[in-house]
Amino acid sequence: MITTSLLNLLHDFGSISLFFKKVFLTLLRTRGNLIPILNQIASISIRSLPTVAFAGVFVGAILVLQFNLILSAYDAQVFLGGLNTSAVVREVGPLIISFLLAGKIGAYTAAELGTMRVTEQIDAIECLGTDPIQYLVVPRMAGIVVSSAILLMLGLLISIAGSMAVAATACGVNPWEFTASIPQFTSISTVVSGMIKSMVYGIIVAGVACHQGYTATGGARGVGRAVTMAAIYTNFYIVIANYFTSGFLEFAEHWIQILGAQAGLGLGKAL
Amino acid sequence: MSIVFEKVSKAFGTKEVLRNVSFEVKKGEILFILGKSGMGKSVTLKHIVGVLKPDSGNVWVDQQNVTSLDSFQLTQIRRRCGMVFQHPALLDSLSVFDNVAFGLRTPQYQQTLPTPLTEKQIEEAVVSKLQLVHLGTDILKRFPQEISYGMQKRVSLARTLAPAPEYLLFDEPTTGLDPITTEAVNSLIKDLSHTLKVTSVVVSHDMACALKIADRVLVLDRGGILAHDSVAEIRRSKEPLIRDFLSETVSLEAQLGASQLINRGAS
Repeated sequence: MITTSLLNLLHDFGSISLFFKKVFLTLLRTRGNLIPILNQIASISIRSLPTVAFAGVFVGAILVLQFNLILSAYDAQVFLGGLNTSAVVREVGPLIISFLLAGKIGAYTAAELGTMRVTEQIDAIECLGTDPIQYLVVPRMAGIVVSSAILLMLGLLISIAGSMAVAATACGVNPWEFTASIPQFTSISTVVSGMIKSMVYGIIVAGVACHQGYTATGGARGVGRAVTMAAIYTNFYIVIANYFTSGFLEFAEHWIQILGAQAGLGLGKAL
Repeated sequence: MSIVFEKVSKAFGTKEVLRNVSFEVKKGEILFILGKSGMGKSVTLKHIVGVLKPDSGNVWVDQQNVTSLDSFQLTQIRRRCGMVFQHPALLDSLSVFDNVAFGLRTPQYQQTLPTPLTEKQIEEAVVSKLQLVHLGTDILKRFPQEISYGMQKRVSLARTLAPAPEYLLFDEPTTGLDPITTEAVNSLIKDLSHTLKVTSVVVSHDMACALKIADRVLVLDRGGILAHDSVAEIRRSKEPLIRDFLSETVSLEAQLGASQLINRGAS
């Protein structure tokens, strides 16, 4: 039973990887069609912004309350802004926003492509001499990946603003105090790390949702199955990717700091 | 210039749908593929345009083996084969006009023309194809979900006819249509075949329709070919399945005749 499940999981992972390769090669070959991609970016970003903003405010608020409980015990509330922003930008923001995107955009895309597959719309496009990967999948995948980055940036800003408001009203930390500690905990590399994570999660949401929808079979039940599997696989792969990206980015950040220090030392000696 | 199936086998999981199926469709001919549901009629059709690949055997279209073509060559074949699907298969996000114009706007089609089509020429082509299937210009701006199923089927047919294909593949073309439109579609298939020499393959379980328009009839049953003959030979067949299909037609014709007599009596 466990072996079969594991084999199925590996099979699906291989299938998604091959599908992604096909889409990527099509994107390189055709250099994408800019107008449909821009349409998708606009449509996805606009549709998802209210959800992301709403979630962002509350994620920030929850973290502020939790951190405040601990920091106030040590009379260290001055670090509330820095700690909260670092956690939001580095880890919680990308993760929560990508889960939301998986539920909203991923499910929508899987259902849309799945319905097109089972009602033979994709076959019809193929028979009319157009590559459905190029016409349908490339704009959607590119749209999801780019809009995840845009939504993450906006989501993080909204989350920090929300945190600041809650810190001021519920924890007695004024906005000046809140922002003062941010540079101590959050550097450019923290923001870049959050951006890289959100791009990776965006690729996972886009790849899995498009693959599940594109390969759907068996009428309405097949579409339902595609949407369910898209949600399960996306969340599963995001959690796994989170572990590996966190490890890799921490390693990269560590080496950048060492190299930076060495360069600084060399510069000092030269001077 | 023909379509040839050479020992084609296809299975989905453990279910063998086609087993060593071989037949030929000659240029300008109307071949009617008949059979009960789930006997591989639509699967046969999808092999011609390479949407499905056989597990073994070859499918030839104009002496090109569809099973071994790359995606570019396959696109060229598909451009010459118009396929009408069982479902209307119209793109939900496009209006009726854009759906019918879809094939005309593809670079693959435009490349075959001496000069690319202007929007005016595309509009004229769309309107003329819609007229062919008894539809007016009032639905041009509507979306598929805003028109009836029968209209969607006719729009789908107009979309297939727009790029003037050399081969027409019909998957249940008259399912869901009213008797008048069914008759019009049947006449259209016959006209296209006989006047423009378009080769047609029609998949259906409507024997009455087959007897009216087909040049040859191929009956599929349990993965194999039960009969592949002219209409006259099919009428004389002793095969129980074919007799069942024929008796259905006779009873339908009898019902139609009786209702016509009643109508005449009433008037």
